[in-house]
Amino acid sequence: MLRLMLAIARKDLILFFRYPINAVFRVVEPIMWLTPAFFLGRGFSVDGTAPGFAAYTGSGDFFSFILLGSFLGAYISAVFWGIGYSLKMEMDAGVLESNWMTPVPRFAFLVGRTVTSLVITTLNCTGVLLASWLLFGFSASGSVGRAILITLPMLGGLYGFGFTFAGLVLLIREANTLVDVSSFLVGELSGRGFPVTVLPRSLIVISLALPTTYAFDAVRAILLGTEPLLPPGAAALVLVAFMVVMLALGWLSFTAIERLCRARGTLGLH
Amino acid sequence: MPASVEIESLRKVFQRRAKRGLLSRRGNGTRTLVAVDGISFSVTAGEVFGLLGPNGAGKTTTIKMLCTLLTPTSGTARVAGHDVVKEATKVRAALGTVMTGERSVYWKLTGRENLAYFAALYRIPSRQARPRIAELLERMELTARANELVEKYSSGMKQRLALARALLAAPPILLLDEPTVGLDPQAARALRELIGSLRHEGRTVLLTTHYMAEADALCDRVAIIDRGRIIALDSPASLKQSLKAKEAIRMEVQGSPNGLEDALRALTTVESVSAKQSDNGSGTCELQVITLGSRGCIGPMIEAVRRTGHEVLHFQVVQPTLEDVFISLTGKSLRE
Repeated sequence: MLRLMLAIARKDLILFFRYPINAVFRVVEPIMWLTPAFFLGRGFSVDGTAPGFAAYTGSGDFFSFILLGSFLGAYISAVFWGIGYSLKMEMDAGVLESNWMTPVPRFAFLVGRTVTSLVITTLNCTGVLLASWLLFGFSASGSVGRAILITLPMLGGLYGFGFTFAGLVLLIREANTLVDVSSFLVGELSGRGFPVTVLPRSLIVISLALPTTYAFDAVRAILLGTEPLLPPGAAALVLVAFMVVMLALGWLSFTAIERLCRARGTLGLH
Repeated sequence: MPASVEIESLRKVFQRRAKRGLLSRRGNGTRTLVAVDGISFSVTAGEVFGLLGPNGAGKTTTIKMLCTLLTPTSGTARVAGHDVVKEATKVRAALGTVMTGERSVYWKLTGRENLAYFAALYRIPSRQARPRIAELLERMELTARANELVEKYSSGMKQRLALARALLAAPPILLLDEPTVGLDPQAARALRELIGSLRHEGRTVLLTTHYMAEADALCDRVAIIDRGRIIALDSPASLKQSLKAKEAIRMEVQGSPNGLEDALRALTTVESVSAKQSDNGSGTCELQVITLGSRGCIGPMIEAVRRTGHEVLHFQVVQPTLEDVFISLTGKSLRE
């Protein structure tokens, strides 16, 4: 199974670098998006800290807050784009059927497609981290290992969500809007760019119902010392439950939708 | 000989929802399309078997059900002894499939990269994959261009690469869906020779085509399929033999085919007629007539054509082909 996933990832990586300008832009893009946020925050700061922001989060380091949010948001996008959009690209390129006719489990196809996406995101985040440390003075004092332990079940849950998503892409044969809207909504309502406590009551209900919110919150609490919504241990339990439920639901829905597409004969259409 | 492919009462029905306009509620209903209507046949090991029929006859639908891309509505299909629904993974492992069209490989990868990728999907260890890929590239005459992006290949090269992909895991059974469609005559001939060579390796080949000459040249047996049903199944020679008591006549006639078919069908010695406008731009039409074998019908036929205001330019009595068998059975041409 691992060899299959690596073969898929290797193919995706070769294809990624067949468009070199796109590859370079992927590296520059996050710094480009973060720079205005840095200067905007600076405009609201007094002596390097933002008091209003600190009242909500317990930390005046708005830039590190946004930076960590953008990292976790990037992983959400990596899973969504990795599973959903790449499936659509294969449909458009006419190669989905030739892949689907091989004796490879569908699970390997879906997960394998995200490997390249995750590797590129990790490299990207490392580069942005380095640039942020050099240019904007980013620093984090907490345990990176504990933050990763929180992030992993969140990613597991997102994979489950991604499986359902892949099924929807097969069904409606459209990905761009679906991926854009979903990763934007999940990212923003989880507090990618702001503390969710600033949201109005109607939105904060949705935000608190998203397990990803607790991942963002716990990672920031661990690394930046912000005030968490839940203690990190409780957040980890929520995220593990989220992972188990979403993986099961996601896989069941994907297999059901794929069966429906095979009955309808729409697999090769785009 | 054991059967490599066994199909029993296989049927595929599609429910198609009628398109609706953005604001219109008209056409709110479903349409039922019977693509494959209870077909049964078996292909023995080592046989080259052809499904011959016009576009929309149900050939591709049958292939898609065999290669597990499509679920049958009813009936059973077994490939290498495995049920296509219950043992889909085993079926996929036993098959090499080339679907119609040239977009079954990655255009942004080289030919070699494509084969390396698919070899990994078939779980061929890297040490075995390298010589296998080299051998297939050589056989498909692609070695010199193996490291070029597929987007720079001609249609024939892309189709040969797709065949190499299907052969990677040395599958005992090959499904080829319209393998030569869209190729120039030279590339089509080269691909037919390659398919012919597979017979000598003892592989079972099930191919679909609407080119009668292709089916005639390549297949041990042919099933003629029309509107989802098999209307004849035998060796090409036997199928043509069934027309022995009849004669096939080709005519080229000045003008459009209007009224010609009815005029000829009115003759008692004429069994079936197919007429179509010539595609050579000369303003003539071509008629294919199956008669009941009496040469006494030639005069009345020419007379019948003249009565419709047409002039016979060319008249020829020929050996029946598979196309004549199809016309005899359905009363229409394969290309209609």
